[in-house]
Amino acid sequence: MIRLKLHIEIAIATVLIAVYTLPALAQFIGNSPGRSLQKAPPVRFVYPEQVHISAGKPAAVALHFRVAEGMHVNSHTPREDFLIPTTFSIPAGEGVRLESASYPVGSDISLPSAPKMKINVYSDEFTVEARMMAAPGNHLVKGVLHFQACNETQCLPPQTITAAVDVVAK
Amino acid sequence: MIVLFAVLFILAIFAWAGWANWEYRQQAAKREAATMAASSGFAADPDTGTVVFHSALTGKPAPDFTLKNLQDQPVSLASYRGKAVMINFWATWCAPCKVETPWLVELRNKYAPQGFELLGVSSQGDDVTPKDKTAWDKDKVDIAKFAQQEKLPYPVLLGGDGISKPYGGVEDLPTSFFVNRKGVVVAAVMGLTSQSELERDIQKALQD
Repeated sequence: MIRLKLHIEIAIATVLIAVYTLPALAQFIGNSPGRSLQKAPPVRFVYPEQVHISAGKPAAVALHFRVAEGMHVNSHTPREDFLIPTTFSIPAGEGVRLESASYPVGSDISLPSAPKMKINVYSDEFTVEARMMAAPGNHLVKGVLHFQACNETQCLPPQTITAAVDVVAK
Repeated sequence: MIVLFAVLFILAIFAWAGWANWEYRQQAAKREAATMAASSGFAADPDTGTVVFHSALTGKPAPDFTLKNLQDQPVSLASYRGKAVMINFWATWCAPCKVETPWLVELRNKYAPQGFELLGVSSQGDDVTPKDKTAWDKDKVDIAKFAQQEKLPYPVLLGGDGISKPYGGVEDLPTSFFVNRKGVVVAAVMGLTSQSELERDIQKALQD
């Protein structure tokens, strides 16, 4: 009886130790050697994941975006004609219509090499107020943010990201 | 005794897993460093110690290309053999590109008598493709307007995205490649640098 009890204790101890050592083995088995060579996206949609609005009435939804550290995107009103503004849209046919979008006021910055050239940008976090009108029901809205990002010395091509929001309209 | 042996055995496995993980990461880091050395990336300049852009094309023949200019005429890199050439990837929506444009105009005019030419290769970005005629035409109008405003004395070529891949996948703008008279890339820069640095690379292309 004592022997059986001892064997059970040994088995439990072994299992517990094995469970705690598995993460160490998993690190070795995994195929992620270190940091990725891929650049992080310059802008990403942060929240909300879901909103509840009244069906058939325009409702304001605050969409929060984050700009990667060290980078900026042109604001909706970038000051120079040749710069591409940040815009938000909702494709047709998603059960939700974008009535209007309000953009925050950006910050004026200038490049170190061109102190006289002012550009109006968003950096860190910014919020777009989207007034949406939805038919009754659940709608997975894939809004589109179009922007063009730079840092102080170089620019990336214009690109879009999806702001996916579950809109529940009752 | 058996319990002690079992515990020691498990701990030995744990220690071995930790060592193996460390060893794997060391080898992976070495492989990554070798890959970076063979491809484009940033590295410390051996002379100055500052971090500079290194292109995998440096020391190799510049990939040939033919693009159309604003007058819709084909222009090929090969037609400039015997001249030093700066291939400057830029875009109208790129503020740093606009900053360096006056420098490029000045340097091109200064070194043209010595057999130097600059090719301004416009990169529209993912937004604009030839299939989207409206956007493509608008982009051409914007480029022509910019070229006129800045009084660009050098050829402006359209459709730079089409030759991005052989040049290492140019995404960040501005990016420039300096090609000597024999058609070999002798230097490359990515991002806004300085007029003096651009001039140094032009002189390098003229000398080699």
